[in-house]
Amino acid sequence: MMARTSRRMLLMVLTIAWGMALCQEPLSTQRRQSLLKTESVEYLYPEQVTVHAGKASPVALHFRIRQNLHINSHKPRADYLIPTVFSIPESSGVRLAEATYPEGTDFMLPAAPDEKLSVYTGEFAIEAKIVAPQGNHLVEAKLRYQACDENECLPPKTITVPIDVIGK
Amino acid sequence: MKRNTIVIGITLFILATFAWAGWANWMYRKQSAERALASASHADLIPAAGDVPQQGSPLMGKPAPEFTLPDLSGKNVSLSSFKGKPLLINFWATWCGPCKLETPWLIELQNEYGPKGLQIVGISTEGDDLKADDKEGWAHDKAAIAKFVKDEHMQYPVLIDGDSLASEYGGLDAMPTSVYVNAEGKVVAVQLGITSKDDMAANIEKALGAGQ
Repeated sequence: MMARTSRRMLLMVLTIAWGMALCQEPLSTQRRQSLLKTESVEYLYPEQVTVHAGKASPVALHFRIRQNLHINSHKPRADYLIPTVFSIPESSGVRLAEATYPEGTDFMLPAAPDEKLSVYTGEFAIEAKIVAPQGNHLVEAKLRYQACDENECLPPKTITVPIDVIGK
Repeated sequence: MKRNTIVIGITLFILATFAWAGWANWMYRKQSAERALASASHADLIPAAGDVPQQGSPLMGKPAPEFTLPDLSGKNVSLSSFKGKPLLINFWATWCGPCKLETPWLIELQNEYGPKGLQIVGISTEGDDLKADDKEGWAHDKAAIAKFVKDEHMQYPVLIDGDSLASEYGGLDAMPTSVYVNAEGKVVAVQLGITSKDDMAANIEKALGAGQ
């Protein structure tokens, strides 16, 4: 009886170990794929906000730009440059009453040291005032930007900024 | 009883081995993920031509991929219409600061090397992958391209819809990208990003030199 229990225990341990070994590789692959899909700009936080229903409420939205890249500020110094713009689709039920953007910092391309660009680098925050009706709203806000490094530029991009807005 | 003790001992040994292996594997994966994350957050778009051997481009030494694209008036222009001419094919975009910076260099280089046979061809590559039936999108793009061409006094041929050539021309992930083609139609240099007018002139010399 005791021997049979021990054998079952051994069999169980081996089965668990085999299962664990099978699980490990897919996890690693998933992590790698998510890293490869990294955007030039990443939304940091908040994931969830609680606001007064029906009133314009301030929310600070934090973003991070990948190292060695810059994006145009909301007010680039030339017409042809694409500004950074935050928006909330009307269909979301939550309205963007106002968005206040940080001042850009000066940046000069090595090929044009006399021409100052107004850009964001590193981390930056947009102060948004949003109006939400009562209830839970999963908002897929948008951030449009155009990123460059010192020598070349990536096409303009719009990323989704997911925020769970609770109106109380 | 003795046999049971041995089985329990083996079981405990296997459990301990897996616990250690699991911990070691977790540590290894954690370190790998951190390395990968650090690598991913360090953005290097594409090294500039001066930093990397140009043999790195898959286009090098091969015939320039054929294309037929419209110009701003709607007239189709093919690569084959420039047959026998050394070319500088410059992919650019209206929103691209470095492209705007190098445009005056391109105009000067066309004036300087045009008498020697060089033809510069600009191809606007806006990166918005417009569908053929997106009339509003195309009208917006064309207006922006026409304004850029006029403001920058671009006198060389300018074609649109470079996005449709992305797979043939190595991805065209970032602007500007310049492809230098000799009179025999082969790619002799590929320049990714802006460097200097002198670098462009050196690549033009390569395009002019081959086949003579």
